[in-house]
Amino acid sequence: MTAHARRRVRRIATFAAAILLVALPVGAQVDLGTEEQRAAGKVVYDKYCGQCHGDTGDGNGYATPRVKPKPRDFTTGTYKFRTTPNGMLPTDDDLRRVIEIGAPYTSMPGWPNLTSAEIQNVIYYIKSFSPDFENPDRYGEPIEIPRPLESTEESIARGRVVYEEQGCAACHGEVGRGDGPSAPTLVNDKGDPIKVADLTQRWTYRGGATKEDIYRTFSTGLNGTPMPSYADSLEVEDRQHLVNYVYSLGDGDDPNYGTLITAVYSEEPIDLQNGETLDALFEAAPTTRFPLVGQITEPGRNFFPSVTSIEAQAVYNRDEIAFRVRWHDLRADTSGRNSPSLEVPMWDEDNGIGDDAGDDGGDSDDFFGDFGGEEAPAEDDFFGDSGDDFFGDGGDDFFGAADAGPPGAEFSDAVALQFPASLAPEETPELKPYFLYGDSQNPVDLWFVNLTYGVADTFRGRGSESIEPTEADIVEAVTSYDQGEWTVTYKRRRSSRAGVSFAEQQYTPLAFSVWDGFNRERGNKRALSSWFYVYTEPSVQPATAFPIVRAAIIVLVLELLVVFLVRRRARQKAAGEEAASTTLAATEAPAI
Amino acid sequence: MLGLNLPVVIVLAAIGGVLAWRRANTLTWLLYTWVALWAFFKYGFAVPIPQSVVTIYLGITGLALVCFASSSRERLSETVQPIVRLILEPRYRLALAGLLVALPALAAYNVYADLNVPLEAPGFGREVHPPPPTEMTVHDETVDMATAENPYLHYKHDDPELYGEHLENGRRVYYENCFWCHGDGMGGDGMFAHGLNPVPSNFNDVGTLPILQSSFVHWRIAKGAPGLPGAGTPWDSMMPAWEKFLTTEEMWDVNLFIYDFNGYEPRALGQH
Repeated sequence: MTAHARRRVRRIATFAAAILLVALPVGAQVDLGTEEQRAAGKVVYDKYCGQCHGDTGDGNGYATPRVKPKPRDFTTGTYKFRTTPNGMLPTDDDLRRVIEIGAPYTSMPGWPNLTSAEIQNVIYYIKSFSPDFENPDRYGEPIEIPRPLESTEESIARGRVVYEEQGCAACHGEVGRGDGPSAPTLVNDKGDPIKVADLTQRWTYRGGATKEDIYRTFSTGLNGTPMPSYADSLEVEDRQHLVNYVYSLGDGDDPNYGTLITAVYSEEPIDLQNGETLDALFEAAPTTRFPLVGQITEPGRNFFPSVTSIEAQAVYNRDEIAFRVRWHDLRADTSGRNSPSLEVPMWDEDNGIGDDAGDDGGDSDDFFGDFGGEEAPAEDDFFGDSGDDFFGDGGDDFFGAADAGPPGAEFSDAVALQFPASLAPEETPELKPYFLYGDSQNPVDLWFVNLTYGVADTFRGRGSESIEPTEADIVEAVTSYDQGEWTVTYKRRRSSRAGVSFAEQQYTPLAFSVWDGFNRERGNKRALSSWFYVYTEPSVQPATAFPIVRAAIIVLVLELLVVFLVRRRARQKAAGEEAASTTLAATEAPAI
Repeated sequence: MLGLNLPVVIVLAAIGGVLAWRRANTLTWLLYTWVALWAFFKYGFAVPIPQSVVTIYLGITGLALVCFASSSRERLSETVQPIVRLILEPRYRLALAGLLVALPALAAYNVYADLNVPLEAPGFGREVHPPPPTEMTVHDETVDMATAENPYLHYKHDDPELYGEHLENGRRVYYENCFWCHGDGMGGDGMFAHGLNPVPSNFNDVGTLPILQSSFVHWRIAKGAPGLPGAGTPWDSMMPAWEKFLTTEEMWDVNLFIYDFNGYEPRALGQH
């Protein structure tokens, strides 16, 4: 295309855009689709969306009591993830984005199998739930998202200043772990408790983790939540610096979940009381992050665990082995009760049920015993008279105590490592105890730390109904809570008479449980992991240089041998030919 | 498509095309065949092939290529000629020296890479659909696994309205209990699936529901992981024994719902 032609195209495009702009005020953006499109959207919605968002779009589907954050209520016209200014409706593309990729670490999955037309139809149908979409005044121009600034030290430093000036730490915490002083009190405009983003775990950002996504969140806010828009209070460049700062807090794009901890050998003594030498020991040990999910197999189910991952390390010396685990928690709950076997009543499996407690899904409620909205016991029976109502000022009828302040700590934070009580026999190496506290034939040992006390208690589990304290081995522990992160370090002798011993080069099954007292987690209501392994690395590492050099030398010798043989043969041939050259000409080698 | 990594396949084919166009010599073709197969096995498939299998394939390929090269005197000399010239002719001296250094370096790197493979947790095989018991007891009722069928399936034709009610109840049960692992769309990809090993069943898969009788699915729902035989590694699976939480009717309703949602029918009795 010539420069002239390009200019012409640009001029036409500008002209077309101008016409569009003139047409806007009369509601050009209001596109509610046709009757047929909405009907087609309803079919898709009823099959894939209604179970959470409700068949009438009010966010009260079958799953609603058991998911957190709760599904979007489409009748309010309030949407978190938008490119439009604060308080405005989202564009179709904004809605499409969430439908296509979902919101990570929530119950909203992406729907990659829906066609583009199906998604558009669903969007039309969703828009029909709220009259706001008929109101042209609720539509705003999408913001412009500039290219991210280069992430220089200066930019990050400036972002840190903005972070402090704007008071981001009040909710997100000093270093971004979602542990600010306000974090436990936050609710959305429907009164449901909501969790502050942990800025260090980018993969859990609900609205996406690219720099553009982060910029968008600063610039448009998350409607209906305490996350405001900074479009008016921050210049574009400062928002970009803030993006770079927040991005720099992250541990990477991906959690890189692993399946194994490598316990490294050290000659040093393991002294739990000496923080410095202990840190130095663990400095040398690789860290593995493991996924945690809610325990939803045994009664006392935890459908919305607070903690979604845990990091672990291990070191060992001649006699002892030590494990260190770390996880993020918005508040240290260190005054309540906890134990692996604490009873969890059925009603406490659900999220403040509110309006839908008395829904028509009566069968299962009857089966569980009386726990419908009508029969709900008085709130004091639930929580005692300590006034620490978790669902606090949510104002919902079921749990609502109007006078309750921030949720209290009836239950404390806790953590447990779980090992098989004995290793699998050689003929069935795959055999392990049931990962949920073991089973009657194959018990497990739990190294449980109630963070109220900060000491390790050992339990032997033979299934959820049979968890007994045991004194067979002494496990020591030290704990600390710093800026939203718990660190617990365990130590035990490597050999054990009653439980598993940690021999060198041994793969030992290992699983984790974490309880967040704030989320009323105790007993079987916990976050837990599958079985993973700890591998005790050999204390004497085999030398790696020798096999590498050997391989190189062998190949080199072979090469030289071939070269030598070929050359010798050529020389011999040449000598023979010289002798015969008086009579015969050498034949040419065939062309290749 | 076909589980292939198409860009890799296309690049390999294109290189082959260039070689044909340039009328490459026999040695080049042999080297190309081996390297291209290595690249194809290593990078050509969406799901990686185990290294041990690749090693066997490439070993066999190598032998076959040697056989091919030595199958006749002309072919052998054709193959060897370029190597001999590389070694003898002074103008290739630099290339020869490069090769003498490069090959040992490659071998050394290979050993180094082998020594630095990240450790992985030991893996064990597991039977995905282990044989069910001949009968089981659910809520004090004996279920004969060979003859039991979903008692509400026949409403599909006899009483569509009642069928619809059972389906709706199944939908409620599924989204109150199951989707955390099996997923909203039943792809085995719920929000907890990434933390589970074994991964939850994918009900979209033609290899799951349609090949199973509804009684088998009922067994899996009612008895969960604890009801699995050892071959199914019951100690690893998150699947609850739903008889603890659900009524018999609810379990059959959700059984009905997962078939209906995916447009599948249970395998009929006596159908193998």
